[in-house]
Amino acid sequence: MKRYVVKRIFSGLLTVLLVFTLNFVIIKAAPGDPIKTLMGKENSDPQLRAALEEKWGLNQPQYVQYFNYLRNAVQGDLGTSITYNQSVNKLIAEKVGPTVLLGVAAAIVALFIGTAMGIYCARHEGGIGDTIFSGFAYTLDAMPSFWLGLMLILIFASRLGWFPTSSMTDVRAGYTGMRYVADVAYHMVLPCLCLIAITMPGYFRIAKSSVLQVTNEDFITTLRATGMDEGKIFRKYIFRNAILPTITTFGITLAFLITGVTLIEIVFAWPGMGRLTMTAINQRDYPTLLGIYLIVSVAVSLVMILVDIVYALFDPRIRFE
Amino acid sequence: MAALLEIKNLNVTYRNKEKSVYAVRDVSLSLEEGDALGIVGESGSGKSTLAMGILRLLPEATADVTGKCLFKGETDLLSISQKEYADLRWKDISIVFQKAMNSLSPVHRIRTQIEDIYHVHEPKASKEEIRERSLELFRMVGLPERVYNLYPHEMSGGMLQRVAIAISLLHEPSLLIFDEATTALDVVTQGQILDEVVRLEKSMHMTRIMITHDMSVVSASCSKVAVMYAGCLLEFGPVGKVLKDPAHPYTQKLMESFPSLHGEIRELKSIPGSLPDLSILHEGCVFAERCSKACERCLKERPAMRDVETGHSAACFALKEVL
Amino acid sequence: MAKSNKRSKLTRYLQGFKSDAQFRAGVIGIVLLLLVVALTPVLVTHDAHEFGSLSLGRPGQDGHLLGTNHMGQDVYSMIIEGTSTSLKVAVISSMISAILGILVGGIAGFFGGKTDIVISESINAFLMIPTFFLVLLVIALFGNSITNVMIVIGLTSWPGNAKLMRAQALSLRERTFVKSAVALGETRLQILTKYILPNGIFPVVANTTRGMAGAILTEASLSFLGLGDPNIISWGQMIYAGKNYITTGWWVSTFAGIATIITVVIFYLLGDGMNHVLNPKYSFGKGGGK
Repeated sequence: MKRYVVKRIFSGLLTVLLVFTLNFVIIKAAPGDPIKTLMGKENSDPQLRAALEEKWGLNQPQYVQYFNYLRNAVQGDLGTSITYNQSVNKLIAEKVGPTVLLGVAAAIVALFIGTAMGIYCARHEGGIGDTIFSGFAYTLDAMPSFWLGLMLILIFASRLGWFPTSSMTDVRAGYTGMRYVADVAYHMVLPCLCLIAITMPGYFRIAKSSVLQVTNEDFITTLRATGMDEGKIFRKYIFRNAILPTITTFGITLAFLITGVTLIEIVFAWPGMGRLTMTAINQRDYPTLLGIYLIVSVAVSLVMILVDIVYALFDPRIRFE
Repeated sequence: MAALLEIKNLNVTYRNKEKSVYAVRDVSLSLEEGDALGIVGESGSGKSTLAMGILRLLPEATADVTGKCLFKGETDLLSISQKEYADLRWKDISIVFQKAMNSLSPVHRIRTQIEDIYHVHEPKASKEEIRERSLELFRMVGLPERVYNLYPHEMSGGMLQRVAIAISLLHEPSLLIFDEATTALDVVTQGQILDEVVRLEKSMHMTRIMITHDMSVVSASCSKVAVMYAGCLLEFGPVGKVLKDPAHPYTQKLMESFPSLHGEIRELKSIPGSLPDLSILHEGCVFAERCSKACERCLKERPAMRDVETGHSAACFALKEVL
Repeated sequence: MAKSNKRSKLTRYLQGFKSDAQFRAGVIGIVLLLLVVALTPVLVTHDAHEFGSLSLGRPGQDGHLLGTNHMGQDVYSMIIEGTSTSLKVAVISSMISAILGILVGGIAGFFGGKTDIVISESINAFLMIPTFFLVLLVIALFGNSITNVMIVIGLTSWPGNAKLMRAQALSLRERTFVKSAVALGETRLQILTKYILPNGIFPVVANTTRGMAGAILTEASLSFLGLGDPNIISWGQMIYAGKNYITTGWWVSTFAGIATIITVVIFYLLGDGMNHVLNPKYSFGKGGGK
């Protein structure tokens, strides 16, 4: 177990290092002067320029520059946003809350629905329910998330008027307390639904194939041969074995989920990192974009390490390694 | 005395939308109490399907099982309900599967699995009671006590196979089926386990069916042998007779290919041709196409099982010439 | 020996076409898509680039089958034109990804040992990176031309292919015909290019096909963030452009999205179908004894 955890943390760190390195390479390789990239095209303040050159050590050899960059990044210095003239750290810290709220809520619901449906379809393989739902999941998997978001707005907000089209709260109403929470929940329905719809097929697929596979294992046949009740075989043995890949999928889906959240936030004008990303792209605010990329990558790596450790708790084969 | 198990005209057919595969065709054989029957054949000969058919463990949607299978002279295993069958399972009939590595759940301790299996028939049994029974069986099959608390991945293949055998003996069943149960083991471990099994069943009065493609396993541990090919039973009789003086041309070829009796039947290179397509119902003898003694009749008509001598029969028209 | 192996796989494809509905649907779908691309000049009713006078015309209005967008462009003709953009992105980026994956994975699996450990760890690290943000960053910095988009998608999606190819190479090098080639004194490079790569390539091809669907979706997402190539017509950009008119001109986004879904599903079907066809466990409607 110890060795396993150390190994997982090591490869997590390796990923983070890779991300930092890629970031460095990209800035250096991008067309034009890297300082200009970090300052913004319109800005020509010589003081800022001197400060950045100092920080990057541009007159020093490449590898020194690289280590300078690594040192800054590791210390959490992600630079200053061109558009907001604020530290990128602070900008991201302000926007991270709504994104996490949306992402985590959707991830959990998708996990449960997708897995439950996957199990159902595996238990009734070839039945009508399976055929319909498998086809449904297949189509959802092929859908651009943002397009689905637009369709939800078109149908449920614009035509039916059941839900608001955008944003996180009704600013004019100025709710407080429980009313505020209810208002946020109300605004969350459509974006959440959209995110659930696009992440659910992943859980569905893995749960279905995993249950089908475990059902065909020899030890299940053995248990059947003992006369054990089918319900018990399923609840205790099939489920416990088949759920393992789902845990891993939860980690892998995360990177995908963050992409999804970003796009969905833009569709629904949700005030999170996705919106920040969009503004940064429009303004060519590179320090902010680089910062977002770093933060997201580090966050994904961290969660993946966590997921792997949780996995080990469920699988004795790894726990006792 | 009535036979312990009497299989009459057993057929197993796998069906799907496009075609049917006749995996077991019209097999009849009977087993006396205390017998140890080896069923041998190449892979795809239907020997495992036969066992799974008797155990009613094939998926009912895709596998048709017909015929009769009388257990202890009265219960037809193929016509009772699954619920009635559940009462017989493990108490009267148990099975040990091919790959020991996969025959236990990897995420549950041996203890948990044994307790759950024991509780199927003895729901009130205490943990202590089950532990004692298990440790007694562990001693019999040569396993240390500590195994009881281990996970499957912490054990070797040989140990796991012993665990699987111990579990199959929990309720001292009258019929025990081994489906290639020792195939994956090394020769030494296999020999040890076979010796123990033979010893155990003598003391427990068990009857055993041994499904294998390894002739040496049959000769070492069985009293009767049934030879299967392409879903059909070709020869049946006492091990000494069949192995020494095989009546069916297929068995003869089989024995020629393995003069030492210590080899596996992988592919019969010495017999020209290959296994027939099982999705076609062959009119004649299934082996006719590869048989050097085949005549015109063999291609048109299916030979029935005929006695060579008492208790030794074979399905071949050429029997007289053989004799 | 290596050749016969390849041929048997090709016959499996043919057999698969007959028996696997997914594979068949995928192949037919691809043929249809290619037909649309080839017949674009015949199929379009308007010049897709031309700004007409009718802004946000409803479907059917003034001969515009699927209506017009806010600039007066014919939506139907844009969708037809966009087909070639999507296919181009799919094919070129997947080619890059497949070639990189096959080379990296093939080398890791074939050479084994330390080389393998180093490469495998890097593959795993690459697999953990949130690729989309990397693509986004590079496109924002290097410019949003369609060429850049294709190259970057290709350069970021190879690790999955590499992993598959590595597993193939690992098992292939234990096979008799490779071992005998080693015994006959062929060089490692010869063995790699003559035996390992051609024989291990098939699962990668299936995976790449599914990857093409991913490439189409990534391109669409980039367009939706305003990082599409403004000089070409793509479905993603159509959805993006229709976003602001979703209530007044729903048809602009809707039809482009449907076209995307259909195309992506076709690539999924083809990829999954190939996997069925190549999987030795998947027998063609055969019951099987065990």
